[in-house]
Amino acid sequence: MVKRGKLEIIRDILLTTQKNHNHIKPTPLLRQSNLSSSRFKEYFSELIEKEFIREHISRGERFILITEKGFKFLEKYQAIVNFIDEFEL
Amino acid sequence: MLPITGRIVFEGFRGGRFTNLFGLGLGAELLYSFLIIICSLMIYSGTKEIYELSQHKGIKYFRMAFLFFALAYFFRSFIKFILVYFNVKGLFEISPMILNPIISQITLVVFMYFSAMAIFYLLYSVMWKRWDSGIKIYLFHLIALVIAVYSVFSRNPFSYIGLNILLFVFILMITMISYKNSRKKTKGHNPYAIYVLLLFFWLLNIIDILIPKFLQVFQLFIYLASSGIFLLMLYKVLKKIGN
Repeated sequence: MVKRGKLEIIRDILLTTQKNHNHIKPTPLLRQSNLSSSRFKEYFSELIEKEFIREHISRGERFILITEKGFKFLEKYQAIVNFIDEFEL
Repeated sequence: MLPITGRIVFEGFRGGRFTNLFGLGLGAELLYSFLIIICSLMIYSGTKEIYELSQHKGIKYFRMAFLFFALAYFFRSFIKFILVYFNVKGLFEISPMILNPIISQITLVVFMYFSAMAIFYLLYSVMWKRWDSGIKIYLFHLIALVIAVYSVFSRNPFSYIGLNILLFVFILMITMISYKNSRKKTKGHNPYAIYVLLLFFWLLNIIDILIPKFLQVFQLFIYLASSGIFLLMLYKVLKKIGN
């Protein structure tokens, strides 16, 4: 199996959240992202810091939502990958 | 007798130098620099969004390369303006009585530094995965600064050109090795050919600045080819980012 790149992992986390009606708890997201707990924490913190996702508390439970910037990333993901590939960056 | 500065200004307005200033020579120079500056800045600003979203280091260095190209060509056009206005072959020939040598020497240092860094950033954008370390880019800044300062203190354009040819061969070798390890070698889709052409015309542009008469016969060809490469690069960038 080919190792996923950083951008691909970020896309997968965002896509998983999107597929769950943009409303998912951290534990199922960890399970579905196919990452170790420590790596997931790293990516989770990074995505929060980059404002791609945000946390939302509803009825005492923590949910994760994609922000506008996160949706923009998903929209531009293919263009970013094509650009990196085209110029061998 | 008029002081030399006054005489130069007077003669300039009387005809010869003033004609050069607005004639085809400087006009073509300014148009050429303007075209390359615009292409470079469009590449820099066009890739802003994908860089901000991805924070990809390769994109960062690629953008920086074109920002430095724009700065280098801005100072290049300033040097050309000085050369045409004072009707001299090289910056070192300008009398200190006409123009403060510090101005021309600082301009040359800045031009050399920016043009060397543009090439180093382009090289680093392709090689950063293999060389990934923040220190290395500072090392390139230091090398570019040494090259720039050397170009002024040596006062010998030929030794400086020799140094640049060595640098060109070194970068060419790295590019070739990188091409061999490249993931895709499909004809017409490989960026290395454009990178090598950019490098080659960068060298010709430096020779053109340091020894203006040396490549005068090929000047139009160099300008057209350089502009063509930057336009091709801009086209490829805009096509890929979907603007």
